[in-house]
Amino acid sequence: MHLKGCGGGGGCRCAPITSAMSSAAGPDLAEAPEERCFLSTAEAAALERELLEDYRFGRQQLVEWCGHASAVAVTKVFPLPAHSRKQRTVLVVCGPEQNGAVGLVCARHLRVFEYEPTIFYPTRSLDPLHRDLTTQCEKMDIPFLSYLPTEVRLINDAYRLVVDAVLGPGVEPGKVGGPCMRALATLKLLSIPLVSLDIPSGWDPETGGDAEDGLRPDVLVSLAAPKQCAGRFSGRHHFVAGRFVPDDVRRKFALRLPGYTGTDCIAAL
Amino acid sequence: MHLKGCGGGGGCRCAPITSAMSSAAGPDLAEAPEERCFLSTAEAAALERELLEDYRFGRQQLVEWCGHASAVAVTKEYEPTIFYPTRSLDPLHRDLTTQCEKMDIPFLSYLPTEVRLINDAYRLVVDAVLGPGVEPGKVGGPCMRALATLKLLSIPLVSLDIPSGWDPETGGDAEDGLRPDVLVSLAAPKQCAGRFSGRHHFVAGRFVPDDVRRKFALRLPGYTGTDCIAAL
Repeated sequence: MHLKGCGGGGGCRCAPITSAMSSAAGPDLAEAPEERCFLSTAEAAALERELLEDYRFGRQQLVEWCGHASAVAVTKVFPLPAHSRKQRTVLVVCGPEQNGAVGLVCARHLRVFEYEPTIFYPTRSLDPLHRDLTTQCEKMDIPFLSYLPTEVRLINDAYRLVVDAVLGPGVEPGKVGGPCMRALATLKLLSIPLVSLDIPSGWDPETGGDAEDGLRPDVLVSLAAPKQCAGRFSGRHHFVAGRFVPDDVRRKFALRLPGYTGTDCIAAL
Repeated sequence: MHLKGCGGGGGCRCAPITSAMSSAAGPDLAEAPEERCFLSTAEAAALERELLEDYRFGRQQLVEWCGHASAVAVTKEYEPTIFYPTRSLDPLHRDLTTQCEKMDIPFLSYLPTEVRLINDAYRLVVDAVLGPGVEPGKVGGPCMRALATLKLLSIPLVSLDIPSGWDPETGGDAEDGLRPDVLVSLAAPKQCAGRFSGRHHFVAGRFVPDDVRRKFALRLPGYTGTDCIAAL
């Protein structure tokens, strides 16, 4: 099974996934595989486990890097203008799982970068990290919407762009609840730009699923490394926020990732 | 008591500390004080408490921002070696140590007392030994001996938060202490930064929310774009 396209510029040649690779529970392959550009859902989970268990990174650290890097990506594509208040407004839609936590961090950093984020976080996680991240946003006076208008024109008029932090890879859409799914239905009709964190919410993380029916983000920020469905991303900008992935881990997963410049935390693909 | 100088460029005028301010346990002042450039040790601790307890930031987050910002201040393709003779049993320290070990950063088992060996082997030294509010007597012999060696350094020295061994308020005996070339103040400059006379002073404080900055009446420089440090 070849990866459909690559999503990366510059003549990236992705290696076909052999049956040996696809059946491996983890990437401990005897032979050195040709590098590839995407991770499957299982590999992404294994990479995260390695960072948490072997490297002893904290989830707080990982979520913070991903959220900060996502905010930096927003500033690159949508720089602040000198005037016009509306040009600073951003709606961040957060789901109840880790993708939503990244969204909360992203909103806070957008605030630090002098944007005016508003958060819609209808289904709240009881997890302490989520609760603390929520408190941090509340203390920094970031408004939380109690409901999301179903009339998409109201969203188009009020915000310059929307950040989709609803569903990450490995989260069953059925688990996130009605309000999130209704929000995604509204976001499909958006005419302002959409930035998806890690994967476009609702896409099958491997195949992309039914692309006509799903979200069509303008910007994708892949966290740690691109997921396989990123091969079907056809928006304007694809960034990877993966500077925190140690070289040894990158090599272990046979990932080809772009070079980062200076102290940048994101790289454009 | 006036703050001795400012350490910041651009004509910063620091307000004198009135007795009302200096006796306050915390910065809940009825009148809005004129902004100033430095924090006392007690205020720095209060600011950190506010971030941890009221804002619910995690210590992991704060330490990560400060460390990252310090690295940005130093920046660009360095090959670090760590001397960490007296290890904390605190889980955060242990995890951060593991992260460094897993990234193949060497840890020295001892620091040469012959400073020439350090001058020859490294391009610069980062001093992350003592912060404000840490009693020098508590950190142990190897750290104090390391500081004695660092005083003789001829390569550049970058101190994190305060030059280790300086009195956090007064700077102490400046001739006897470390003389860093670069100071990276964490969250906000401490009072002793007024006596810093090295080449570069940065503040790594972008994570301090505006409300907290105002509450402590701090004048901090503006940050550019997405920068995490600002030059003073």
